[in-house]
Amino acid sequence: MEKFQVKFMPDQQVIEVEQGTSLLKAASQAGIFIKSSCGGKGTCGACKVTVISGEAKSERTGNLSPEQLSRGVRLSCHTFVEGDLTVEVPPESRLQAHQVLLEDANAALLTETSKDLLTYYGYHPLARKVNIRCSEPTLTDNAGDWTRLSIELKRVLQSDKPLTIPLSVLQTLPETLRQAHWDLSVILTDLESGYTVLHVEPANDRPCYGLAIDVGTTTVVVYLVDLDSGEIVDKQGSYNKQAQFGDDVISRIVYAVDSTENMAEIQKAVVDTVNVLIEGILERQSLTSQNIASAVIAGNTTMSQLFLGINPRYIRLEPYIPTVNSTPAVSAREIGLRLLPEALIHTYPSVASYVGGDIVSGALATDMANSDEIILFIDIGTNGEIVLGNKDWLVSCACSAGPCFEGGGILFGMRAMPGAIERVDIDPESLDVKLKVVGKIAPVGICGSGLVDCLAKLRKAGIIDRAGNFQLEHPSQSARIRATEDDKEFVLAWAHQAGGDKDIVISENDVKNLIRAKGAIYAGIRSLLQTVALEIDMIERIVIGGGFGNYLNVHDSVEIGLLPDLPQEKFEFIGNSSVKGARLALLSQKAWNEAADLARKMTYIELSIGTTFMDEFVSALFLPHTDLSLFPSVEGTF
Amino acid sequence: MAVALVKERYQSKVGEVVIGATAAEGGTRTSVVKVGGDSTLPFLHFEGKVENRAAIALEVTDVPPAWSDTVKGQYGDVINDPVAWAKKCVEEYNADMIYLKLIGANPEGENRSPEECAKVVKDVLAAVGVPLIVAGCEDPEKDNEVLAAVAEATSGENLLIGIAEQDNYKSITAAAMVHKHNLIARSPLDINICKQLNILISEMGLPLNRIVIDPMIGGLGYGIEYAYSIMERARLGSLANDKMLSMPMICTVGYEANRAKEANASAEEFPGWGDLNDRAILWEALTAAGLLQVGASILLMRNPAAVKLVQQNIADLMEMNA
Ligand code: FES
Repeated sequence: MEKFQVKFMPDQQVIEVEQGTSLLKAASQAGIFIKSSCGGKGTCGACKVTVISGEAKSERTGNLSPEQLSRGVRLSCHTFVEGDLTVEVPPESRLQAHQVLLEDANAALLTETSKDLLTYYGYHPLARKVNIRCSEPTLTDNAGDWTRLSIELKRVLQSDKPLTIPLSVLQTLPETLRQAHWDLSVILTDLESGYTVLHVEPANDRPCYGLAIDVGTTTVVVYLVDLDSGEIVDKQGSYNKQAQFGDDVISRIVYAVDSTENMAEIQKAVVDTVNVLIEGILERQSLTSQNIASAVIAGNTTMSQLFLGINPRYIRLEPYIPTVNSTPAVSAREIGLRLLPEALIHTYPSVASYVGGDIVSGALATDMANSDEIILFIDIGTNGEIVLGNKDWLVSCACSAGPCFEGGGILFGMRAMPGAIERVDIDPESLDVKLKVVGKIAPVGICGSGLVDCLAKLRKAGIIDRAGNFQLEHPSQSARIRATEDDKEFVLAWAHQAGGDKDIVISENDVKNLIRAKGAIYAGIRSLLQTVALEIDMIERIVIGGGFGNYLNVHDSVEIGLLPDLPQEKFEFIGNSSVKGARLALLSQKAWNEAADLARKMTYIELSIGTTFMDEFVSALFLPHTDLSLFPSVEGTF
Repeated sequence: MAVALVKERYQSKVGEVVIGATAAEGGTRTSVVKVGGDSTLPFLHFEGKVENRAAIALEVTDVPPAWSDTVKGQYGDVINDPVAWAKKCVEEYNADMIYLKLIGANPEGENRSPEECAKVVKDVLAAVGVPLIVAGCEDPEKDNEVLAAVAEATSGENLLIGIAEQDNYKSITAAAMVHKHNLIARSPLDINICKQLNILISEMGLPLNRIVIDPMIGGLGYGIEYAYSIMERARLGSLANDKMLSMPMICTVGYEANRAKEANASAEEFPGWGDLNDRAILWEALTAAGLLQVGASILLMRNPAAVKLVQQNIADLMEMNA
């Protein structure tokens, strides 16, 4: 095969690829990540690039207009290299590092759970460091190096648990011991099943660290945790580089199972994501990978399987079977993570195909499995996992709310970052609009909390009816309500206010998407309650997790029927519960064991069986709900 | 041993809707039809009150319909003249109401103007004394115009007009409100959408006792069981005091039953199915009979022979069983 050079602008990045390589792939090889929401099927149009010069052949042009085509705009996933090329990647096609949930305090309207679970479970990290001094060998004391080391270790650890050492560590052991003059720091795993020596070095009192990692579909967050003190020393987050293969787990599965290369590629993408975060942290803290002895990873079932390179094909095929719920620990070396090569990576156990380790981890962090009270734990995210229960029973489901609340699938949707509209006020008579924008700058889009607020306000002002239909004949006759070729929309900000050339609008399609998303979550809650024959008001606490949860206004959410109409004081906010649970396990063997128990105890409810969910879903496709008596505090306000 | 009769106590009842208005009430009808009002499950006279008999409306179209010969044959020539046809339905077949379907308005067909349509309605009103149900041609935009014109031209007659649906209910609801008619609210076999539509309509200000639910039934063998259970849920809802489900129900029996192959294919074609005439009659009659058991209040029918059977069935069911 002939090779050609592709030059990416404005980065000036040049890469040599084989003839027939897609531009999407070439860009990724050049380290430029292009959005590909549909996973390269040529349907989403997110992967647009402009071919400035050179030869490329397009197999699909999607819904690109003739005008765009004449300018050289192409779908990079279906455009293939046929000669030397120069390609421009416009900013809107790039995967951008966006704000990732790191601080729980950010705009939180709910207070965070405060119970110190670590004290409850007891402090006992999954890895630790011990300083020992071995006696030097002599002609009369001629035991082997490992025997010498292990005897001393057992004495210091005061335990009969088995103690092992992998070959790789053994191979360098003799020199290490002697260079250190038998004065040693030993890093080892400390698990119920025994100890494994991960690393031996000259005695020092550098702390030893672990990582708590939340692998989300959209974002990845890493906490650096001091295993001696239990302190979170640093945090880092970014988007999941797998996003170049699709926005949601389904399109990523489709991509991954297409070929072994794809599988390797998608696994590498997430490992790279984590490695970049680790490197950032290490650099900031002036540490090396030698200092990191352990990691606990929490992610949904698909993320866990992709991380470990396990074929995820059957997760999405009926009857939706994951390969494994509880994975054995693997070494950093096997996965390619930048930790001590022999350090163990522990993956949180899953419950089922769509209720994964991130939710088990979150449930552990809420402590619901030890509670007398009935707790509802909701992760308001794309997958919309919900857990209900207490110390006696737990049921869970995933209601696939979609990415709406994270700004996905909404015309002007965006994450909560500067320029995002977060509050909306609409005068019911004149339909004049007042906006609150994150960072107090000109608006560029609208974030989840803004969308929730907007929905309630549109309804209050009579711009939409309870089913989300736009009312073009609104008595105000405001120019803000208008019909476009294939949709109806409301202008939130005129182009001149938005500092751009486009009006910022919310369309009827957006509104219906939001109603479906909120309907799915509420229907999930109701379906779980029905399974255990309980009423809404029997829920004693509602714990909200997930990135969007941070910015959520409970009052607005109840008003549109996203959350149950219960007193404000029952709501609690937990932030990124997944990474919290990961840290907990990292620091407490008991908590880690309990997580396994928790995953086994959680009953998964398959929502696609029977009529309950569908029925509840349709009745929730209304503002706030078809059964208005479920929302007594809202009933009069519309 | 004595057996105590188990009687269910219901909190509420189905709302009552009155269709048509006599001269004293501002209209020109010689009789009005009341439907709904039941405070029990269908025909359980021993538990509550079965307030009103289910009514049958015979379908008349403004231009000759493409119906099967088995049905058309029973009407003869009048099929070309809505006025004579309506008369025949009332005088010969004892229809409680006329269901006038304005298929001539269809823009793909005759594309009659709203005024022409309104005139047909007026003519039929002048010819018969029973109340009228008027529906359009199923082209939402055209129907909005046609029904607005009909509602205006027949102000005071207290018609039952349709069809309001979730994405198109505003103008027809407004027409019903302004000119004081009753409204058919149609939802696609979904109790929640049914309820949502009733909420949307009533929030525009149309009183609940002016709404009739059309659950969009399926005919015998073609989804009748969905309709059956949806209607049962609606009835149970109204008895449990769910106001937004407490409307009487109307069923398009004639249309659905006569769509079935069983009501059209000859015995030569399907020897195992037996005689077509009997089969077609029974297909419609059984569809109606089944739905009566879950609270159908108005049956929109076509086949006169089937109507006769159903009329007898209703009379039998109205006998006290307490
Ligand atoms: S169109 Fe190329 S990735 Fe979706």
